[in-house]
Amino acid sequence: MPSPDLTAKKTQCYHCGETCPNERIQRQEKNFCCEGCKMVYQILNQSDLCEYYNLNENPGISQQIKLRKDKFAFLDDEKIQVQLLSFRDDKQVHVTFYLPQIHCSSCLYLLENLYRLNDGVISSKVNFTRKEVDIVLLTGQTSLRKVAETLTSIGYEPYISLNDLKEKRPAINKSMVYQLGIAGFCFGNIMLMSFPEYLGIDASETGLRSIFRWINFGLAIPVLLYSALPFYTSSWKSLKHKVLNIDAPIALAIIITFIRSAYEVISGIGGGYFDSMTGIVFFMLAGRILQDKTYRQLSFERDYTSYFPIAISVLKEEKEIPTALPDIKPGDTLLIHNEELIPADGILTKGKAFIDYSFVTGESLPVLKEVGELVYAGGKQTGGNIEILVVKEVAQSYLTKLWNKDAQIDIGVKKEEQSKSVSFVHLLSRYFTYIVLSIAIATAVYWQINDPARLWPAVTSIFIIACPCALLLSNTFTNGNILRILGRNHFYLRSAQTIDDVAKATHIVFDKTGTLTTTQQQNISYKGTELTAYQQQQVAALAACSSHPLSKALAKHLSTEKRTDVAGFKETTGQGIEGFANDDLLKLGSCKFVTGIAERQTGTAIFINIENKLYGYFLFSNHYREAIPDLLKKLKGNYRLSVLSGDNEAEKENLQRLLGKKATLLFHQKPEDKLQYIQHLQQHGEKVMMIGDGLNDAGALKQSDIGIAVAEQTNNFTPSSDAIIEAKQLSRLNKFIQLCRANRNIIIASFVLSIVYNIIGLFFAVQGNLSPLVAAILMPSSSLSILLITFGSSSLLAKRMKL
Amino acid sequence: MQETNQSMQVEKFYYDNKIVKAFGYATVIFGIVGMIVGLWAAIQMYYPAISLNLAPTTFGRLRPLHTNAIIFAFVGNASFAGIYYSLQRLCKARMWSDKLSWIHFWGWQLIIVAAAITLPLGLNNGAEYAELIWPIDIAIALVWIIFGINMFGTIIKRREKHLYVAIWFYIATWVTVALLHIVRSIELPYSATGSYSWYAGVQDALVQWWYGHNAVAFFLTTPVLWLMYYFLPKAANRPVYSNRLSIIHFWSLIFIYIWAGPHHLLYTALPDWAQSLGVVFSIMLIMPSWGGMLNGLFTLRGAWDKVREDPVLKFMVVAITCYGMATFEGPLLSLKSVNAISHFSDWTIGHVHIGGLGWNGFMAFAILYYMIPKMWGTSLYSKKLATNHFWLGTIGIIIYAVPLYWAGFEQSLMWKQFTPEGQLRFDFMQTVTNIKYMYVARSVGGTLYLIGAFIMVYNLYKTIAKGTFIPNEAAEAAPIVKAVSQKKEYWHRVIERKPLTMLVLSLILVAIGGLVQMIPTFLVKSNVPTIASVKPYTPLELQGRDIYVREGCYTCHSQMIRPFRDEVARYGEYSKAGEFVYDHPFQWGSKRTGPD
Amino acid sequence: MSVIIILLIASISVAAIFLIAFLWGVKSGQFEDEYSPPSRILFDDKPSSSTKTK
Repeated sequence: MPSPDLTAKKTQCYHCGETCPNERIQRQEKNFCCEGCKMVYQILNQSDLCEYYNLNENPGISQQIKLRKDKFAFLDDEKIQVQLLSFRDDKQVHVTFYLPQIHCSSCLYLLENLYRLNDGVISSKVNFTRKEVDIVLLTGQTSLRKVAETLTSIGYEPYISLNDLKEKRPAINKSMVYQLGIAGFCFGNIMLMSFPEYLGIDASETGLRSIFRWINFGLAIPVLLYSALPFYTSSWKSLKHKVLNIDAPIALAIIITFIRSAYEVISGIGGGYFDSMTGIVFFMLAGRILQDKTYRQLSFERDYTSYFPIAISVLKEEKEIPTALPDIKPGDTLLIHNEELIPADGILTKGKAFIDYSFVTGESLPVLKEVGELVYAGGKQTGGNIEILVVKEVAQSYLTKLWNKDAQIDIGVKKEEQSKSVSFVHLLSRYFTYIVLSIAIATAVYWQINDPARLWPAVTSIFIIACPCALLLSNTFTNGNILRILGRNHFYLRSAQTIDDVAKATHIVFDKTGTLTTTQQQNISYKGTELTAYQQQQVAALAACSSHPLSKALAKHLSTEKRTDVAGFKETTGQGIEGFANDDLLKLGSCKFVTGIAERQTGTAIFINIENKLYGYFLFSNHYREAIPDLLKKLKGNYRLSVLSGDNEAEKENLQRLLGKKATLLFHQKPEDKLQYIQHLQQHGEKVMMIGDGLNDAGALKQSDIGIAVAEQTNNFTPSSDAIIEAKQLSRLNKFIQLCRANRNIIIASFVLSIVYNIIGLFFAVQGNLSPLVAAILMPSSSLSILLITFGSSSLLAKRMKL
Repeated sequence: MQETNQSMQVEKFYYDNKIVKAFGYATVIFGIVGMIVGLWAAIQMYYPAISLNLAPTTFGRLRPLHTNAIIFAFVGNASFAGIYYSLQRLCKARMWSDKLSWIHFWGWQLIIVAAAITLPLGLNNGAEYAELIWPIDIAIALVWIIFGINMFGTIIKRREKHLYVAIWFYIATWVTVALLHIVRSIELPYSATGSYSWYAGVQDALVQWWYGHNAVAFFLTTPVLWLMYYFLPKAANRPVYSNRLSIIHFWSLIFIYIWAGPHHLLYTALPDWAQSLGVVFSIMLIMPSWGGMLNGLFTLRGAWDKVREDPVLKFMVVAITCYGMATFEGPLLSLKSVNAISHFSDWTIGHVHIGGLGWNGFMAFAILYYMIPKMWGTSLYSKKLATNHFWLGTIGIIIYAVPLYWAGFEQSLMWKQFTPEGQLRFDFMQTVTNIKYMYVARSVGGTLYLIGAFIMVYNLYKTIAKGTFIPNEAAEAAPIVKAVSQKKEYWHRVIERKPLTMLVLSLILVAIGGLVQMIPTFLVKSNVPTIASVKPYTPLELQGRDIYVREGCYTCHSQMIRPFRDEVARYGEYSKAGEFVYDHPFQWGSKRTGPD
Repeated sequence: MSVIIILLIASISVAAIFLIAFLWGVKSGQFEDEYSPPSRILFDDKPSSSTKTK
């Protein structure tokens, strides 16, 4: 039942929700944006899976980009299969595919009903957080390739990269959760059994009281020996490096508390502090888990293998043979299809290469290569098929070497630097520990002189009460909450330490292409004799025939509803196009192609010639992301800014205006140049924040103190970095930085509060009469108030900043 | 190898709807019966003649019948209907054994019928909500175990790896209710129908309310929470607000609930520390309870337009709101100062009926309205009638509860008033006649609620007539396929089966350990301070006690004099623990309709 | 109040059972994916008419 206002607004594709260019593609009164979407709908309709559309509106993925038929031929290769499968026997195999397209419950529904589309599939289970699907299939009835093709046909193309050939990712370490569970169980029961004593269990019930105490003793042992393990190992590690981190005094406090409590229970003089001890361990573990919660669907550690396909077609005796990437030898001839990545350096032997290097160099326009020219790995072919004679193995190519260079730098410079950047929390705790130690010594001396009997109770109490657990709690909970808030705003940090690094940055370096500007849109302006609407139509129609990015952009820019017949279309790759539009001869393309005169133009332009008359040209300039000028304006007051671009200088003036006169702007920057620039800044004492998107920024991102990778969508691939930001959110970077800066203040504020609690506790402790009840009141009240302050203030702040 | 063979295909199987239908019918029938009995008992409060002057229909005998019918027959059957419906669908498997399903069904109904016969006959062992005589107690244990085997069997053969949060609630309910029932029901039979509680006096009181409160928790709360967690998302067609919140709320709820019981014994002869323990845990309970409530309400965020349309959701919204109110009021009532006023008064009755009528009743109605059209492959006969039922019920709850709150508050304050000369201002009878009209109003509310239930019966009857019952609903799902390398298969499989093995093993271990520790404890002389003048009951006194228990006197009277000025003035010296050492069971009651 | 020992044993054993259940749940990945399970219950698993009976 089509709603009446359907025609009023733009027609949306029933499958993917994109605007339909026209209403010609229909099926059962539903509109589709392309044949691909319509086909998916038909497949689902046949298999009774239209529930897919009821769960969410327009849940599909646009099918406008068509795929090559034999793209997954390599999955028939035995050797590749072995490395992808998680299990196989003679009947069935298990495989896990990464499907970055998974985004809603409709996806879940469809993918788990895969067996209806492919008879050989027994089960398919989605892990939504990881965007993976575990598939079990019968080898007799289907094949890995067919399953991959089925998935592709419904819009979920598995992403299989060279990275999948490496070791399987390590299982998530769950021991901290076990430790938390056990600590929670013990803490809960100990609390329960400590209450009677605090609530004044009658003196007549001493039997009962000692039973309670002994049960507490028993329950505290697993906490001491198992749950508190992370604190021991961490403090041991730091002591080995001759530094005192925050875990050392905590581990000490846990052990002293246990010994003192055990002594009290055994000698029958009291109930001990088991509840405080287990409680604090429980809360600290909870804080750690909150802080360490990683974004499992993201990866901060990508290398080139995540970008490279797992296999490529090798031409042998006129046949295409899918070959795993590591098996490619110099001398092989590779067949590269449209939109495929060139995996190894080689010489173009056939076809016209039109290679998009934006990913490697940051240049926004594809580069034309003729037969016989050298092409480097990492570029993406756009246009027809090409053939390449491999000259270097994959692992030896330009791109991989670039990567390895980064790795070397990583070992050489960054490592040293990393050990220096210790969180300020550890510094604080160090002072704290020294103060506690001196108080303990002073107390010991005092009681040694005045009343030796009270020496040990007093000293042990000091260690119990003055454990910097409050500091750890405020640290972990604030960090955890800030990470959560930032994550909610699609700014994902690698770890809690990164918050501190963001706060400390003094110099922000931007990449241009793909970071400040978007590659998906361009500003187009026209110069020359005015074109009539009819002429514009003609230009658009001709441009629409070409797959060149500029032509496509132009067609979109001039898009019209009316049809124009195009005849005799001819494309000269990398030059221009010509053809008859409604019987007028049109020529669009570079200056040389259209006018015959090579004119050096700053920037990119398409010249227009209609019926042998030069009208003018469309000038393409970068399209800055929304609100970027605003962001730069805000940032330039507080930070030194730089822009490093691999592109030409066309945008220089524009950028200078945006960033202010003091900003450094560098163009034609190779990846190594970028890296060196960062190093140069660091040598001058700057803390550098680098924001980039492509592989060409990878080295710089790694070298900088905080590297932020920009991704159009979070499931897109980004180079290895400390943080990932969704492109749309980039404009709010200043707010994110502000929040990270506030982080430290919140921690210090709550720490000051916890010191007040500590002083109260110490007041009792130095006198040697800290009762378990006082400890039991101080412990939860300090922990809870810290939780409230940290959570409350960070959330409140975020709310005020509208994050 | 054989395992892989059998799990090579997407399997087609059938959900057993017949058992759900049976439990659903039982829910309706016993719900109506239980409510009628409740109404009957309520009218007796101001119009005693309606007892027909027959012993089986006096208040003292009807009240246990009402509570047992509502808790075990109405809410019990509704929960079972819900679990048999949802467990199969959540596990993507038919129940493990149809035979066990039916043994469970008929066993449970037999128990209910037996209770409906024995309680009016005065066969009652005197422990609130556990009044049933020992042979029935044994039958309950057996049926419960059969239910458990069937449930765990289904969970093991499930085709869906993830246990949805509702299943955690099933498991918790089963384990805890089994334990509660056994610990409470340890009693020494002296005849085929009679028994005395193994525990005495204060100890019996502690066990009783440990049981009593947990019965509320694990028979009236967790099962209804599972109904909420399954049927609310289904009815609203949107996932639960926060899966994480539901998991955290589950684990904390079951831990804290266990120890809240002593709040029923504030100001009694129970040692102070034990009372305070109950208070502390009761107050902590508010967090997980509200976690659950908010999770339920937030599930509907953005779907409030659906609530306007769908009677099922309407019932659920009010049910969840009542849950929130009751779980807020509960901790409030366990504060000592509030409890001093509320205890023994009608306030408590109002409180439990917010939970009973609102939370349990409305949730039961909601799932019936949801499941029956689905199982008969049709739609509800009349949404309008269901909406009328909803409004009658909601208004009924308000008219029921508000007067009782008022009555409880007023009567309790009247009890406590003294003249300037130091005399009690009101005679007990004066305080009762003063709230008579509140009792009338309460029964009006109950009647409205009951009429609503009759409308539901008609509506469901029409729905059933309109559709055709699908006894076996077809479904298909792939089995869980385990990736195991053949060599390691044997011990790997052992590990795979471990959850159950571990559960069973730990149960056995715990039972043995418990017994080993319990026996010496009981050999040790009880250290409740004895009073020299308190001697074991004479045969005649015992006879009298038996009559007191038989007639359900404890439903209106208390043997516990709390240390308040008015109670001491009215009934004499306040009670001490030592007075009750020979009371099997204790008879402190929980409501003081008449003087002691 | 020796009876509290029985109640304690009972309660701690229940808590221990749930602890084991919790650990098993973590181990078997029950709490790993927080999105799928609540969404999954909303799907009908009616067999499609077009599937062949195998």
